[in-house]
Amino acid sequence: MHKYVIKRLLYMIPVLLGVAFLVFTILSLTPGDPGSIILGMTAKPEAIAALNKEFGYDQPFLVRFFNYIGDIIFHFSLGTSYQSRQPVITDIMARFPNTLLLTVFSMSIASILGISLGILSAVRQYSVLDHTLVVVALIFASIPGFWLGLMLMLLFSLKLGWLPSYGAGSLKHFILPTLTVCMGSAAGLLRLTRSAMLETVRQEYIRTAKAKGASPKRVIWKHALRNALLPVVTTLGTSFGASLGGAIIAETVFAMPGMGTLITTAIRQKDIPVVMGATLFLATLFSLIILIVDVLYAFIDPRIKAKYQNGGKVRE
Amino acid sequence: MKKVTAFLAAVAMMASLTGGALSVQAADKTDLTIAVDVDVDTLHSTDYSTTVEHDILSQIYDPLMYMNPDGTHDPEPRIAESYEISDDGLDYTFHLRKDVTFHNGTPLTSKDVKFSLELCQASEYQGSMVTGLDSVEAPDDYTVVCHLSNPYSPFMLGVCQVNIASKDYYDSSADDFANNPVGSGPYKYTGRSKGSNVTLEAYDGYYRGEAPIKEVTFEVIPDQSTTAIALQTGEVNFATIESSTIAQLSANPNIQIAEVANSGFTYVSMNTEKEPFNDVKVRQAVNYAINRENLVQVCYDGEAEVNSNICSKDRFGYSDDQFQYTYDPEKAKELLAEAGIETPYDLGEMLVAEKYSNIATVLQSDLAAVGLNVTISVKEFNSYIGDLTSGNYGITALEMTLDGDTQMLEMAFTTDYIGTANNARYSDPAMDELFEKSRTETDTDARKELFNEILTKAQDEAIYAVIDNPLTLFAYNTDLNCPEFPYEGIYSIYDFSWAE
Repeated sequence: MHKYVIKRLLYMIPVLLGVAFLVFTILSLTPGDPGSIILGMTAKPEAIAALNKEFGYDQPFLVRFFNYIGDIIFHFSLGTSYQSRQPVITDIMARFPNTLLLTVFSMSIASILGISLGILSAVRQYSVLDHTLVVVALIFASIPGFWLGLMLMLLFSLKLGWLPSYGAGSLKHFILPTLTVCMGSAAGLLRLTRSAMLETVRQEYIRTAKAKGASPKRVIWKHALRNALLPVVTTLGTSFGASLGGAIIAETVFAMPGMGTLITTAIRQKDIPVVMGATLFLATLFSLIILIVDVLYAFIDPRIKAKYQNGGKVRE
Repeated sequence: MKKVTAFLAAVAMMASLTGGALSVQAADKTDLTIAVDVDVDTLHSTDYSTTVEHDILSQIYDPLMYMNPDGTHDPEPRIAESYEISDDGLDYTFHLRKDVTFHNGTPLTSKDVKFSLELCQASEYQGSMVTGLDSVEAPDDYTVVCHLSNPYSPFMLGVCQVNIASKDYYDSSADDFANNPVGSGPYKYTGRSKGSNVTLEAYDGYYRGEAPIKEVTFEVIPDQSTTAIALQTGEVNFATIESSTIAQLSANPNIQIAEVANSGFTYVSMNTEKEPFNDVKVRQAVNYAINRENLVQVCYDGEAEVNSNICSKDRFGYSDDQFQYTYDPEKAKELLAEAGIETPYDLGEMLVAEKYSNIATVLQSDLAAVGLNVTISVKEFNSYIGDLTSGNYGITALEMTLDGDTQMLEMAFTTDYIGTANNARYSDPAMDELFEKSRTETDTDARKELFNEILTKAQDEAIYAVIDNPLTLFAYNTDLNCPEFPYEGIYSIYDFSWAE
């Protein structure tokens, strides 16, 4: 197992270098240069050139790329923002805690709601409860986030006056954004859990378990759920990773400074160091989360554990 | 499950919602929350680039003098109590007040002014404010003399916009200077939270007396709908808004709307280097083809002033005698026939940035009505600007601001600015010469006449098809007393107060 984890950690190096090169190339191919974007159309060409030179943007693409990678490796520095002229890491650290909190809150609620209601729905297939849950889930999966966010704000901030409409100062500020983000994910998880459970309960080993006299509870929790959870955990892992990239819509609607708005703003302003720094930061996190998900499989599914322990070879 | 049903019931309830108004306690309220749509990147006194940064900095820093940009008001004293301009227009002498202090308690003297003007001159960001400045001299602690190499009449307005900062503070830490500003204005900087807000506090040693509003918070709210809700809940007291939320806000009795005239303009630019736009008759036809009133209703919810003149009505140099293009499709067709254009004629692509695509759609149908067909091509903003400035387009529509002195309009018309803001790529030595004259003319009446000639020529030749001047819209709590906003909507929180 340790070997497997170390191997996977080493794989991350080429992956991250690849991500860095790809993003850097795409950014360099997009039109416009930071100087003219910052100074605007009425600026003198000399001022624009001077600013670009200050940023090192006058250098050829490959030189800039290797300087950038060199700074990370030798100085542990993600560079300085073109716009704010402050270290990129301070921009990231000002926003990441908000995104992390929002992600943890919304994913926890989404998984508790989604998985438990999904199981309930599968166990009582074709009941009124099942039909209602499926329809409600479909509705929430289809509601666009910005609309849901605004409606929640109209009700809880404007009409009732219970919750603040914007900002990220206290836990109270997180309630509406969390609801906005988690309802859609919960709906998706519900649908996924339900179908995975339905598929599992039809398998022969479940029939065997029932035949040997195991209680229905034991059949569901001990035999069926473990198997059914595999695809659910995979989805949870990737969507957890993806939401660390920021919930752009919730962040924008609730004026919550997070990773999503940081990156989109930086892309528009062609603030290459910020885009690169934030992307690499997230790519690292994402790779780590996927690794954790893979390790989690081992605990859910003994077959996979056996595979890891045998250095990747499955013992038949 | 219960949660879900309760929630659904809540959503259903929304249908019955009418904008419920929360009353805000105005009595002994001394704080103010202002919504801004983007975060500040820097609070450097001269190396800033956005309107929001400018608005915040102008509460922290004071200028030498305050000058209403409409060109008809005399400068009001601030750090400088009086000024003289030499007869040859080359020396500007400012006499400073002796009781001005920075927020850290140090007195403001002429060396700080000299430093600030030189810092501005060297700035790639705001260096154009002191165009014409050759050198600055500080003969004594409270006198500053600016030397110009050639007379440049817009100098006074420009130099009055420079933030006066402390030399000693800059020397002690350039990093703090940009992120932890110390000015001599009515408000001192108290802190910021990246992406969220900037906070200010009234400076008790301010030379004009302490401001009535004590704490000010600028909250970053990127979404207009959120700003509108926060204004109604009272979480935000003052904001610049877009016309799309005005109907909702003006229905609320606790919210006041101010519409302020602005020099920014919406216009159609035609590349005069390309056929058929090199023909003045075609450009005039486009001018006559546009139904400006309709466009203002559709794209600005009526919150713009129809004006085919590039100079807005409150700006120095504007006159009602200058020609106005009005909606006249028949005249447009006649002009096209005179130009030898057989309609329907394909004008090719109308290139626009995404945010102006609604304007392009309205223009497309106006042009089609006189037999000119365009296909709309939408581009991402930065790549659009690249095509626009390099002349890689035929016809386009956008908004532009050339604020400051009317002289700034030279950016739209003179040969020097082809490749930057002269989007029509118009070049005429006679026009260049007129701007050259207005640049050095110091007599107000003579300058006005020069601008009259320029603007008349611009209209005669239909260099652009200007559509309107969008209004700056402020929404604020009815209990907040704001004096009338000056042209261009530059506000000073110092003048605001809460009703008793």
